Amino acid sequence: MKHFQIQLRGLWLVPLFLMLIISSLSAQENPDQKTVTGRVADSTGKGIPGVTIQVKGTNTRTLSLEDGAFSIKVSTGNETLVFSSVGFEPKEVPVAGQSAINVQLSNAGRTLEDVVVIGYGTQKRRNVTGAVASFDASNLDERPVARVDQALVGQMAGVAVKQTSGALGKGFSVQVRGTGSITAGNEPLYVVDGFPLTPASPDRNGNYATGNPLDNMNPNDIEDIQVLKDASAAAIYGSRAANGVVLITTKRGKLGKAKIDVNSYVGYVERSRKLDMLNAEEWIERAKEIIDAQWEASGPGRTASQTNEERRIILGLAPGQVNTSYMTDDRWFQPGHPGLRFIDWQDEAFRKGLQQNHQISASGGTENVRYYVSGNYTRQEGMVIYTDYTAYNARANVEVTASKKLKFGLNLAPSYSIVNDPGVEGKDNIFHQMVSFTPVQEDTMGLYPNVGKNGQYQWSVSPNSPIGKLQYTIGRTNRFRTLATVYGEYQILPGLSFRSTVNYDHNDNNTKTYIPYIVASNLETRNKDLTKQTSGSFSTLRRQIFVNENTLSFSKTFGGVHDVSAVAGFAYNSDFVATSRIASTGGFRSNSITTLNAAYDVTATTNEERNVLLSYLGRVQYSYDDKYLFSASIRRDGSSRFGANTKWGVFPSASVGWRISEENFMKNIGFINDLKLRASWGKAGNYNITNYGSLPLLGNYNYVLNNAQAIGQAPSGVPNPDLSWEKSNTVDGGLDITVWNNRISASFDIYRRTSEDLLLNVPIPLATGFATYLRNAGSVRNKGWELEITSRNISQKDFTWTTSANLSHNTNKVLSLVEGQNQILIPSSFDINHSILRVGEPMYSIFVVKQIGILTQEDINNKVAMYGSQTVGDPKYFDANGDGQIDADDRVIVGHPNPDYVWGITNRFRYKQFDLSVMLQGQWGGSIYSLLGRALSRTGQGFTDNALGTYRRRWRSPDDPGDGRVSKAYSTFGRIKNTDWLYPSDYFRVRNITLGYNLKSAIKSNAVQGARVFLTLENFWGHDKYKGGANPEALNTDLSGSNTLPEPGDYGGLPLPRSLILGVNFTF
Amino acid sequence: MKKIILCLLVMGSLLGACEKKLDQLPISEATTEQFFTSENDFIQASNTIYNDLRTYPDRQLNLSETRSDNLYAVSDGGVRDWEGINSFHRTIASNPYVIEAWATNYNGIFRANLMLSQLQLNGDIISDANVRTRLEAEARFLRAFFYFDLLRWYGRVPLIDKLVSPPEALEIGRAPVSEVYDLVISDLQFAIDNLPETYPAAEKGRVTKNAARGILALVHMTRSGPTYDIEGPGLGVNEWGQALTLLNEIIASDKYKFLPTYEEIFAFNNENNAEVLFDVQYETGFNPVLGATFPWLLVPDDWFRSQGKPVQGGLTIRPISKDLLNSYEANDTRKAFTIQNGYVYNNVVESRSFFVKYVDIDKVPVNRIDWSINFIVLRYTDIIMMKAECILHGAPGTQADVDAIVNQVRNRAGLGPVSNVTLPQLMEERRKEFAAEGLRWHDLVRSGLVETVMTAWIPAEDVQHQMQPFNKNYILYPVPQSELDVKPGLYTQNQGY
Repeated sequence: MKHFQIQLRGLWLVPLFLMLIISSLSAQENPDQKTVTGRVADSTGKGIPGVTIQVKGTNTRTLSLEDGAFSIKVSTGNETLVFSSVGFEPKEVPVAGQSAINVQLSNAGRTLEDVVVIGYGTQKRRNVTGAVASFDASNLDERPVARVDQALVGQMAGVAVKQTSGALGKGFSVQVRGTGSITAGNEPLYVVDGFPLTPASPDRNGNYATGNPLDNMNPNDIEDIQVLKDASAAAIYGSRAANGVVLITTKRGKLGKAKIDVNSYVGYVERSRKLDMLNAEEWIERAKEIIDAQWEASGPGRTASQTNEERRIILGLAPGQVNTSYMTDDRWFQPGHPGLRFIDWQDEAFRKGLQQNHQISASGGTENVRYYVSGNYTRQEGMVIYTDYTAYNARANVEVTASKKLKFGLNLAPSYSIVNDPGVEGKDNIFHQMVSFTPVQEDTMGLYPNVGKNGQYQWSVSPNSPIGKLQYTIGRTNRFRTLATVYGEYQILPGLSFRSTVNYDHNDNNTKTYIPYIVASNLETRNKDLTKQTSGSFSTLRRQIFVNENTLSFSKTFGGVHDVSAVAGFAYNSDFVATSRIASTGGFRSNSITTLNAAYDVTATTNEERNVLLSYLGRVQYSYDDKYLFSASIRRDGSSRFGANTKWGVFPSASVGWRISEENFMKNIGFINDLKLRASWGKAGNYNITNYGSLPLLGNYNYVLNNAQAIGQAPSGVPNPDLSWEKSNTVDGGLDITVWNNRISASFDIYRRTSEDLLLNVPIPLATGFATYLRNAGSVRNKGWELEITSRNISQKDFTWTTSANLSHNTNKVLSLVEGQNQILIPSSFDINHSILRVGEPMYSIFVVKQIGILTQEDINNKVAMYGSQTVGDPKYFDANGDGQIDADDRVIVGHPNPDYVWGITNRFRYKQFDLSVMLQGQWGGSIYSLLGRALSRTGQGFTDNALGTYRRRWRSPDDPGDGRVSKAYSTFGRIKNTDWLYPSDYFRVRNITLGYNLKSAIKSNAVQGARVFLTLENFWGHDKYKGGANPEALNTDLSGSNTLPEPGDYGGLPLPRSLILGVNFTF
Repeated sequence: MKKIILCLLVMGSLLGACEKKLDQLPISEATTEQFFTSENDFIQASNTIYNDLRTYPDRQLNLSETRSDNLYAVSDGGVRDWEGINSFHRTIASNPYVIEAWATNYNGIFRANLMLSQLQLNGDIISDANVRTRLEAEARFLRAFFYFDLLRWYGRVPLIDKLVSPPEALEIGRAPVSEVYDLVISDLQFAIDNLPETYPAAEKGRVTKNAARGILALVHMTRSGPTYDIEGPGLGVNEWGQALTLLNEIIASDKYKFLPTYEEIFAFNNENNAEVLFDVQYETGFNPVLGATFPWLLVPDDWFRSQGKPVQGGLTIRPISKDLLNSYEANDTRKAFTIQNGYVYNNVVESRSFFVKYVDIDKVPVNRIDWSINFIVLRYTDIIMMKAECILHGAPGTQADVDAIVNQVRNRAGLGPVSNVTLPQLMEERRKEFAAEGLRWHDLVRSGLVETVMTAWIPAEDVQHQMQPFNKNYILYPVPQSELDVKPGLYTQNQGY
């Protein structure tokens, strides 16, 4: 390690690097060379631009021009030229003294000769020894995906991408091979063109409060995505690789004439499903049932048959007065329900929103400069009224070859986006209020009960109309982000080069909220206070990530069979976040100004944080005759987040591969084209905790003395100077096989990942003054397997059909917690705990009472266990501990949140000029514990809230027991967390169907090189079993109320959007 | 090769500069390393101990008032956290109110222990020995106050009188009630000996000698209550005499007055009045918020709506029991001040009653958690009525003394005199005098009436059949489930849960 430390320091290498540039410019070329010229063409005879032509065994290479012509210098004339290009089978041609060579390359799909990005370098796919999943992103411009993470859904085995929100511009949750950390996040590290973006974990609400690494990234600029899944592949990113590494490569220019691409699409987006709630008639029926029951229970001699008038007299109310607990609205039952309006709130709030995207890009290159520049405009109207997303993106990737030894380049991607979302998802936000809003309202109020001058319908819930809130509330987020990378690469000696990169990610967000008084509070207060009830805020987030990386790479073939490559480097990473928030207090002075200068008063706060990461890294790869492959890497990382003595972690890895198909004894087995066995082991780290988690921090805890503020400071937690890295060990075995003339290729991996020294907030006795403290404790194991198959089913001139499928299985299990503890109950903001970490069980197992039917009189006579004062028609629960009564001690583990199996399958067809691709995706084996379901169908729920459609089949009487699962509408025994609100998270979706037609043959102009029209259905059909919410993967609300044991869940997530678009691609 | 060597040299020389960057200190937060280095730091540390009093009022309303026969708080359009407290559910070990009482009191104890330890280590920084002694006495008063609160809710609790690390705390089980009392009494005695009787105006709200006397008197009285054969706050000892001595010292100090009207005790513009021995102080308009929430805790949102005020968060009604409503004599002026008899909102009639003792409708803050009114923990009327209670239990004094005290209180309430007041009559008078002040449950337990009163009250009041029958185990609350789970076997659960 010492060796590394000396070699590889130096953020300050940049000036040094510039010196090297200057010295190299004077380098002279060798005059004793011969020139070979020629042309590279495809099977139709058309020239192929951008083919790499290399003199085998040397570093001399060139690229073919637009028409396929090339020219390369050789020294003896006995060399061999290697022709390679993405999309074609490579070819080796001996020069044999010739000065002109014409070559034809044959088309290929993704081949084993493809070069894959592996982190600090590239490697031939055939020689990869780690578990790597690939996604060819070049067709993304045909899908209406606004985010890169969205495009990854269902594409790769072992990579579970969850669309946790139906709102616009929100980050997805990506998990590679399950979840290994309890507290410190499970999101992978994203690396864009070599720039590692700081991983962000969703906060306890499931949101990315400090931004998601993929925010504002334009999917159309992406060329290729690789996911490094096992530790040997990922460990080169050691410190942050425990959850996998996603390598994103953006498009670059190719040698040749400028190519201009124009992509445009227009279409609409709408909700993919609706949450099934009672309609107005059904709500009335249920309300009457509850009100009658309340009336009967309220005193002797009160019966359901008594009229409202009789009840009014019994209650001693004046004419015109009502008691809504005991009396119904007479108009409910009158024909045409005069004066009332029946409203389906979901139908009023959703729409078909217009979506459009327009992109133009230009790319090309000469021997000296290659470039890719693009501009993109996208606008999406949300499926929810008054929500929208607009983004402007630009990108310039320029690489300059200054001399034979020196290259440098610039990647620059500025972007700006605007999201309008008044806060639709989450508990007590608009969608939650919308579905539970009383579907019967006074006709005079239209869609605006409790808005402006409107009061509240007496039998209604009390929030302001969700339509009014959507219409009048402002929730606007502006995001300006620039990703910039400058790099230089200098060839010190043949085979040895030095690369230095300086990366900067600048993210400026600001969010403005404004809630006018007309959609706040209640009528009386509004009338009295007017704009004093108006509120607003302005908050900003600035995130600045600076990364400098310096690597020395070596690559050489000895004796024709010993391939050695090595890389060593040093990296410096600084991450700075500054936030501010200004909020109005005491309302606004104006009814027309929405900015805070009109507020009576404001409160303001700012906060800044920084963390620094230093890394030394090294890797050696060796292959013997392309047959025996070996790779080892080591990385040493120091993070400012950890304790004084424990900042550094060392993350080694090793892997081996054996290409059996290269052995002589296999050469006779004709149907196997390639067969490789892989095995790897590695250790990776995780440091995703708060920036100052190990330090003894003081908090402000003030008091009042004699009506004045008395400032107080006290420790806010228990410090831990020994806090260090969370580590995960992964072993992986894999098999890659290609058979039957390359028609079928498959890849199978089996793995076990053990995460240990978890960064865990360990419960401690409150008697210490605190509930938890952060330390390294416990371990979790993920194990599973993954299968990817690609098959060219039919391959004829006019018709081709290929299928790619992936299936992965993962289970996780808590192996240990703190000494002496075998379980930790996850706190709950809502009633008793419902999640548990228990040794031997999956993480965040669902821990509730089992509902086993409906109580009958016979049950009660037989003295079955009951919860409190239950009666006939209430749910019957399972008495797990057999003590004769139902209580929290009867909770059992009934499920786990992560799916057991995740799959995706894509079929592609091509018939003459038509092409069609269909992608299906799904999962099974996981469960959702839905707090939204609980809010909409809890026992003891009042009648004003609307209830889930499942109530149609509720117990009404012993003679009308419903489906035996849903208990009666009126119950008074309370509620306990039970399986009523447990749903399978199984689903399948037709994620994408694209039908395209190639217009090229119809367009005679030579200016147009490619033209295509397409129709895409995104997320159009699907099926799930989630009756208690609209999206089985939704995360939007903090269920645990705890930063230390976060548990985001669904408390009002929108359904997923589906869209239909029509688009064109032109290439000039 | 020269280039490489040059390269290595430059890199090597820059090595140290980078690694220093790993020592990042928080930009927007302070760390403890620079704390306790000035007198002001000690004052700030002292203020944070008081900060843990801020949830005391809500806790008394949730755990004492709601548990008692004063409220019949069963569900109404939704199940609320207070329901299990009111209805004697057995499964309240995870109830947030039950957890809060344990958590906040121990946080206060931690801060008091930190102060005491720092006074020993770095106390010399404080130049004025009087300030040093006062800070110690304040910390010990508050530590005793927190422990006494714990004792009354849970009985036996872990006894921690110094700073402990998490591993150390995992070895400390629940101590016998008497041992906890020993610490409480010695702390309060130290406070009585060292606290000033009064403070300069700007310091009003800090604990005083007489506050310590009053709390210690209550401690002695509580210890003298029956044991009920549970390990609760009552030890069955006879310390009514010690209590009476302390109460008489307070009266003799002549620092407090029996205010002529009931209303002015609780008036928003009459804080720190002559009735107040000890209160929890709040004020509106600060950031972070330093206001109160207890005024609306028992008040339904719709009532604020009907008054043209923003909703506060009391949600649905926590109705006053019929039993309490009916027990007021006609003309009792306290009733009208304390209780709101229903309301009509949006033509919807709510006929049940609820407490509005701390609500001045003109003082409703814009921010619902920012009420300005202080919460009186100990007031002079309580002192004299405690004196009457001690006498009725055999401490020196006469029936005439008792009658005089009770009649003084009744007279202020607009009621005629009574004579030969018995203990149940005294407690009934206290029930109305201190309604909504969070004393009822403690009064019932201390006086030995809790079993008979609750056993009779539940069936009479519970027309909705939602309450569980009372048993004496419910005098105590359960140990929070989270505490039992930290290390199985460290604590045992209270009987009956």
